[in-house]
Amino acid sequence: MTILGIVIGVFLIISLLSLSEGIKSTISQQLRALGGETILVMPGDLSNPIAMFMGGAKLEKEDLEAIKRTKGVDKILTMSMQAAVVRYEDEGKTIFMTGLSWKEGIEILEKFQGWTLKEGRWPVPGKREVVIGKQIETGVFEKTIKVGREVVIKGRKFQIVGILNSLGSKQDDSAIYLDINLYQDITGEKRGTAQYAMVKIEDGGDVNKIAESIKEQLGETRKRRAGTDIADFSVITSEKMGDIAGSILNVIQIAIIGFASVAIIVGGIGIMNTMFTSVRERTREIGIMKAIGAKNSSVLLIFLFEAGIIGFLGGVGGTIAGSLFSKVIETYGQVHPLFYFRASITPELLLFGLAFSFFVGCFSGFFPARQAAKLKPVEALRRFE
Amino acid sequence: MPEPIIKLDNVWKTYMLGKVELHALRGVSLEINPGDFVCIMGPSGSGKSTLLNMIGLLDLPTKGKVFVKNKDISKLSEDELSQLRGETIGFIFQEFNLLNHLDAIGNVTLPMVFQGVSHEERQKKAKDILIKVGLGDRIFHQPAELSGGERQRVAIARAFANDPEMVIADEPTGNLDSATGKKIMEILTDFHKKENKTVVVVTHDPNIASYSEKLINIKDGQITVNHQTASNVLWSR
Repeated sequence: MTILGIVIGVFLIISLLSLSEGIKSTISQQLRALGGETILVMPGDLSNPIAMFMGGAKLEKEDLEAIKRTKGVDKILTMSMQAAVVRYEDEGKTIFMTGLSWKEGIEILEKFQGWTLKEGRWPVPGKREVVIGKQIETGVFEKTIKVGREVVIKGRKFQIVGILNSLGSKQDDSAIYLDINLYQDITGEKRGTAQYAMVKIEDGGDVNKIAESIKEQLGETRKRRAGTDIADFSVITSEKMGDIAGSILNVIQIAIIGFASVAIIVGGIGIMNTMFTSVRERTREIGIMKAIGAKNSSVLLIFLFEAGIIGFLGGVGGTIAGSLFSKVIETYGQVHPLFYFRASITPELLLFGLAFSFFVGCFSGFFPARQAAKLKPVEALRRFE
Repeated sequence: MPEPIIKLDNVWKTYMLGKVELHALRGVSLEINPGDFVCIMGPSGSGKSTLLNMIGLLDLPTKGKVFVKNKDISKLSEDELSQLRGETIGFIFQEFNLLNHLDAIGNVTLPMVFQGVSHEERQKKAKDILIKVGLGDRIFHQPAELSGGERQRVAIARAFANDPEMVIADEPTGNLDSATGKKIMEILTDFHKKENKTVVVVTHDPNIASYSEKLINIKDGQITVNHQTASNVLWSR
């Protein structure tokens, strides 16, 4: 019970820091992939991210046409994604399937996103062909996937025509990519719509100005269609995305540091209480040590070290629990393909967790240790006689 | 005249019980010289434990001076006093006062840890002393695995670990049967004779007192008898 508070505190700190570092690196990776001259258009309001990502809102055909019409827009890549059971050689796995507008968007993917094929070719739009992420090739099904073989998605056969080189993130490498029209055929999503649109601007265009223009065009389209001027879409440049992600992470970090601090204070008080009890129970022992030559500083150090060890043990528990939790989140906690959790558990972080908990233990044990050190030998020996 | 190891000069120790002053020691003066075997006797409440605490530097007088080899201890800091105690005096208690979580050798090495003796040296010295007190086969035993006499022998080994000039024993045989008590006293006498160690023993037992060469009787906080030879003890062994 004494060390439970430390365990919880360090658990929160380790899981927070590893996940937030992981999220930061994932976001910066996504932003790098997005590129400076690309704009992402998503349905839903960014001020309500949960509704935006979970609400299932889409960009309608009129919205996509409005984007295309905007001055300064060169090309757009539309995409939709959802998880589906994919069967390969009688083995079924749930995999993220992404529909992309190959015809219009392949240039964006190749030139600006850096997509390259490890093997095979790009699918022919309209044909039942897919390319798979690098991870799918060997890491998902028991049997290695080979180009030319077939996978079954929602009861329909698709030929694997290519395997991508790593796209730099685990979730991108663990997806299957197919033409958005075929995707919409098998998922029942309305043709001509999309969940996202990636916009490539014309060379030399001002990304912020064009983003504003897209916003205006979409606003007008939506106003005409739905009779409302509520902004239920988001136009995001990479710079803005970085800001948003940063501010969300800051809020999460502050909240979790708050919880962790409370847990650590409670744990520290627990250690202090245990050490005061220990000093009382071991008064005679302290008397003996002083009688045989222990200095005040030696007694202080002994009790400080013991408190530090209690804290350290809590830290070991918290570090293990925090690391495991982060790994579980990384493995099973893929909330959304664009916000993929990756745990960044570094040796420095683990050492920090252990050193911090030892320090908390020492700090909590300081007053009990000082009380022990100040005991007069004759009084300590006389007590509990 | 040799320089006394311990000298008490008109030492008073007064405790306050509410508003009442209780004088545990009243103007005690004595000298303990190198190589002495001194026995302090007196009835319960006579002040002999308080006197032992003064001689052992465990307590400070309310009035008067305590000198260790002519050094006034009132001028020393707590840490300096601990250092001096650790290197000059060894303690043997009636209750053995071993640390139960340490084995025999761990208990014996502890005083040397506080004196900064190296690990190898303290292990060697501790083993040698444990063998000397007849516990060569009990070195790694916990106190709970030892008999009363064996525990007291570990305590003796611990008292002599730092090679102190003086060992103070407070009722060293009080918790032992007479045969074991006799063995313990023989070990103490052996250290005194062979290594010329100064031994101060507090006891109720006239048989134990008969081992000493100098007897201090204390009553009501004052020394009543301070004889030089064992022949002055009224009891025989």
